[in-house]
Amino acid sequence: MTKHVRLGAGSGFWGDALDPAVELLEKGEIDYLAMEYLAELTMALLQRQKLKNPKLGYIPDLIPHMQALLPLAKEKGTRIITNGGGANPRAAAEKVCDVARDLGLTGLKIAVVEGDDILPQLEDLVASGADLTNLDTGETHFAGIRNRVAAANAYTDSSAIIAALADGADVVIAGRVSDNALYVGPVMHEFGWRHDAAHARQVAAAITVGHIMECAAAATGGMSSRFAEMPRMGEAGFPIADFSEDATAVITKVEGSGGKVDAFTVKEHLVYEIGDPREYLMPDGVADFTSVRIEEVGPDRVKLSEVDGKAPPETLKMVVGYEDGWIGEGMLFFPWPNAIARADKAKESLMERFERLGLSFDQIHFDYIGIDMLHGPASPKPDYDPSEIGLRVAVHTDTKEEAEKVRRACSQLWIMGPGGTSFGTPIKPRPVYALWPTLIPRGSVSQTMEILEV
Amino acid sequence: MKLLRDIAYVRSGDKGDTVSIGVLASSPEHYPAVLESVTPEAVKTLFGDWVKGDVEVYPMDNIEGVMVLMRRALGGGATRTLRLDQTGKAIGNGILRLPVVSGH
Repeated sequence: MTKHVRLGAGSGFWGDALDPAVELLEKGEIDYLAMEYLAELTMALLQRQKLKNPKLGYIPDLIPHMQALLPLAKEKGTRIITNGGGANPRAAAEKVCDVARDLGLTGLKIAVVEGDDILPQLEDLVASGADLTNLDTGETHFAGIRNRVAAANAYTDSSAIIAALADGADVVIAGRVSDNALYVGPVMHEFGWRHDAAHARQVAAAITVGHIMECAAAATGGMSSRFAEMPRMGEAGFPIADFSEDATAVITKVEGSGGKVDAFTVKEHLVYEIGDPREYLMPDGVADFTSVRIEEVGPDRVKLSEVDGKAPPETLKMVVGYEDGWIGEGMLFFPWPNAIARADKAKESLMERFERLGLSFDQIHFDYIGIDMLHGPASPKPDYDPSEIGLRVAVHTDTKEEAEKVRRACSQLWIMGPGGTSFGTPIKPRPVYALWPTLIPRGSVSQTMEILEV
Repeated sequence: MKLLRDIAYVRSGDKGDTVSIGVLASSPEHYPAVLESVTPEAVKTLFGDWVKGDVEVYPMDNIEGVMVLMRRALGGGATRTLRLDQTGKAIGNGILRLPVVSGH
C-alpha cells in the first residue's frame, strides 16, 4: 500500500476561526495540523510590538489557540506546525512551553525556527552593494527608505521544519517561513524528499497542495463565486489533504462539516493570488499550475495529480516593511432623492474645508459608495436616482496631525453638509507601513532550529 | 449583449501592487470564449487609470481558465492604497463586465 500522510489546515490568517481546527483534531484523523497567521503587513506590526517589549512580537492568538489545541493534539498524536511565532518565534515557543506546563502536559518537544529576520544584517546587505530593486515598482533607491525600515523578512523554505520533525518535534513554531512551507515540510519529512532536481516534481506537488490548503476555508467554499450553493458556510470545515507518496493528493474535509469541496472550489483557489501560473515560485521549489490535473473522486473529495515543477530558485523573496506616513479617512452617507447631487456637493464642501484647515497631503482619493468604490473606472454611470449612496474620502499625509484634519473636516460636515447627510462613527487616522519586496541571495539567509523540552 | 458574467467565475487578490484575477469558464464549452474575451487590451481599457502598469493574461487549459495580472493596479499595494478594497478581493468581479467576444 502506498504510504500517505494527512494534513489539516487549522488557520488561514490571523483572526481565523478556531473551532474548525478543533474539529480537524477531533474528527479529521490528521497527522499534521498547520496553523497559518501571517500576511505581508503583519511582520511590520509584530516587529514594532517586539521593539516595545522583547517578550512580544508573536501572534497573540497563538497562545489561546495552543491552550485549546495542545491537549487534543497530544491525545491524537497530531503534530502542529505554525508560523505564529511572527517576529519573535523564541518568545512564542517559551510561552507555549508555559502553556503546556500549565495544562499538565509533559514529554513535549517544541521547536523554534529562526533565521528569517534580516533586520540585524540589513546594514551589511546594503553595504555589500546587494541589488535590492523593488519588485513592484522597479525603484532601486533603497537608501531612501533605509531609516524608516520596521521589518525585513526573508520567505524561508521548509528545511528547518523538516529538521525539527526529524528531531521529533511535537510543535514547530516558526516566523516568516513561507505559508506554503507549513505543508511542504511535513510531506518532505514523511517521504524523505530533498530539495534537488530529482525530487522537483514531488516537491512541486507538495507546493501545489500547500497553496490549496494555506487559506483554509477558501478551498472549502469560502470566497466562492458560487456562494449561494455553499452549505452552512458559518460552520465550514477546513480542508484536509491526504497526500500519497506517489505525489498525488486528495483534498477533502471532515464529514458532516459545512462548506463543500468540489473541482470548482479547488480550481478557484488554485488561481488565488498567484503570478505566472507556469512558475509558482516558492522557496522550496517551483510548481507549474498549468500542469495539475484536478478531478472529483467522491463526495467532497478532489484529487490533484500530474504536477510538474522545477528545483528551488537561487534567490529568496525578502519583504521590507517601512513607515510611510498616515492615512486619514472619512465616510458620509446620503439619502434619496438626489443622493448623487448631495454627494457631489459634500465633496466640494470637503475640499473647501481641507483648504481652510490647511491640509497638507500628497494623495487624495474619493469613492462614491454604491456607485464606483469597488470597480472604479469599470463602473457604469448610474442612469437612475439611487435609494442611497455614500461618499468616502481617503488622504495620504506625512503626519498624524494632518491625517487628523480629515476626520475633523468630515465631522464638520455633520452640519455644514447637504440635508440628510448621515454618519457612522468617525474613523481614526492610521499609520501606513508600505512594503518593499525584493530578492536576496539564498546564501545570505541561514535558518536555525532548536528544540525546547517540556 | 452577452457579458463575461454569463460564462465565467472569478477569484481575485493582491500580490504587492499587482492585482491577480483568476477567471474560470463556468463550463468547459465556454473556455474558448473566455480566452478570446479576456485580452490585456480589453482589461486595461476596462479599469482605466486604476491600472498604471501592464496587463498580462496567461491561459490555463488544464482548468479552463485564465490568469490575469494587472501590474501597479492596487494604488501602491494593500498597506498603502487609499482604496477600500485594499487586497483586491472585489475588483476582480469587475472583469465580468467585459463583453463576450466569440467567433465560435
